Amino acid sequence: MTEAVQNVAQPQIEVENLNLWYGEKQALKDISMHIPKNSVTALIGPSGCGKSTFIRCLNRMNDLIKNCRIEGKISIEGKDIYGTGVDVVDLRKQVGMVFQKPNPFPMSIYDNIAYGPRIHGVTKKGLDGVVEGALRSAAIWDETSDRLKSPALSLSGGQQQRLCIARTLAVKPEIILFDEPCSALDPISTSRIEELIMNLKKDYTIVIVTHNMQQAARISDHTGFFLMGELIEFGQTRQIFQNPKEQSTEDYITGRFG
Amino acid sequence: MFDRNYKEKSIESVLFSVSALTVIILFLICLFLFRDGLLLFKATSLLDFLTGKFWYPTSVNRQFGLLPLFFGSLLVTAGAILFAVPLGIASAIYISEIAHPKVADFLKPFIEILAGIPSVVFGFFGLVILVPFVRTTFNLPTGQTALTGSIMLGIMALPTIITISEDAISSVPSTLKQGSLALGATRWQTIYKVIIPAALSGISAAVMLGMGRAIGETMTVMMVTGNTAIIPSFPGGILDPVRTMTATIALEMGEVPQGSAHFHALFAVGSVLFIITFLINLLADSIKKRYRFKVD
Repeated sequence: MTEAVQNVAQPQIEVENLNLWYGEKQALKDISMHIPKNSVTALIGPSGCGKSTFIRCLNRMNDLIKNCRIEGKISIEGKDIYGTGVDVVDLRKQVGMVFQKPNPFPMSIYDNIAYGPRIHGVTKKGLDGVVEGALRSAAIWDETSDRLKSPALSLSGGQQQRLCIARTLAVKPEIILFDEPCSALDPISTSRIEELIMNLKKDYTIVIVTHNMQQAARISDHTGFFLMGELIEFGQTRQIFQNPKEQSTEDYITGRFG
Repeated sequence: MFDRNYKEKSIESVLFSVSALTVIILFLICLFLFRDGLLLFKATSLLDFLTGKFWYPTSVNRQFGLLPLFFGSLLVTAGAILFAVPLGIASAIYISEIAHPKVADFLKPFIEILAGIPSVVFGFFGLVILVPFVRTTFNLPTGQTALTGSIMLGIMALPTIITISEDAISSVPSTLKQGSLALGATRWQTIYKVIIPAALSGISAAVMLGMGRAIGETMTVMMVTGNTAIIPSFPGGILDPVRTMTATIALEMGEVPQGSAHFHALFAVGSVLFIITFLINLLADSIKKRYRFKVD
């Protein structure tokens, strides 16, 4: 779908002709996409369309899956992330990820946030500042500042998800991938996360997979529609939702299937 | 309709009786063990039994002091745990997190076979291979020592520790692992900073159960520890012969007149053993329940 490639200024992530197989089954077919810096890009599509698989290529989480084979090229800031000599640890520092279900570690709130900085060598002295900064950026400082030592699992689901966002921010990534971050949350928690994502756009490039089309319409600048492993359409969110070029995009957005 | 109900009910009650049988048998074992054990205290006081330093059951001034046997068991078990815990946990980590699934599938049956080997066979192995080895290595008059027993018991406790730890490690949700890797942690950092702490309760339960297995083992220790009922010195006593509680019962039970004080003393030792293993199992169980990792 090369015609779906957008010519946007300063693409931070460039995906060219990406194909992916799980064993014999092809899960992504010839995906090309340019994702601009400091924007929110939403990926929508029915279950099993490959949008989560795609996002997991961007921080190489698919490396964990045996029998997963990738062809094509993904560059971040001009550097091929599947090229030789790429350190996955460095890549994942640069490209953070927030998961579908909140997954705080079974340790204190403080230790959850400090986990990333510690493994990347931030010393004890600097740690308090990093933790506070991350919690503030994730808009959860006010709720946790008086109980940093209590277990992270004592927080509510929505708070846990914001904690996971804070944990990701603490590593100081440039790009944050969100894999359906609100699917396990109630509407109020969801709106807080959406607000947060829109604020984070100033400093980070955000790619979000979502089942929720209203969410994509509300928070994203660009939207990509996936169907059966193909990127059917990619463009300005307004254009995709108001004036889709493809019939199947329109069918999906208007709720005829999905 | 009535007929089917009746059938259901009768199947239910048969199954209930079968499972109730286990409880009844356990209760009866307790009853007879404690009944005969308590009769010892006609001949000697509880305090003398629990704090006595000498086990001379057949001399003229007979003494039924538990301590030599208790410390014998303790020393051998502690040695076994020191030996088995690092090996067992390392194996569990390897199998559940590092090994290729095919390698893990290849290794697991061997661990199960190790668990199925009769203890007398372990005893033979210990007697023929390990006893001479310990004797020549440490230049001792005899290779039948607490250390020898510890190594053998450690090997025997390994399958328990490995399988239960592996279970605990594998049941840590993969979302935690992914969360750690996504923050740029290496596989090893993920294992020791996230996975092991999350599985710690299961691992402690594994250690407790391995300990229970070691302390109750009889045949192997009897064959390789030399069976000398003297309070072992610490820590040098690890290279001396010792006698465990289990070995004492097995060695002496065949030769005591039924109903004698010596007979009841052996039952009292058995009761102590029973209480210790019961407490260990209870503790392991409560650790497992209390800290079981919450997966939604």
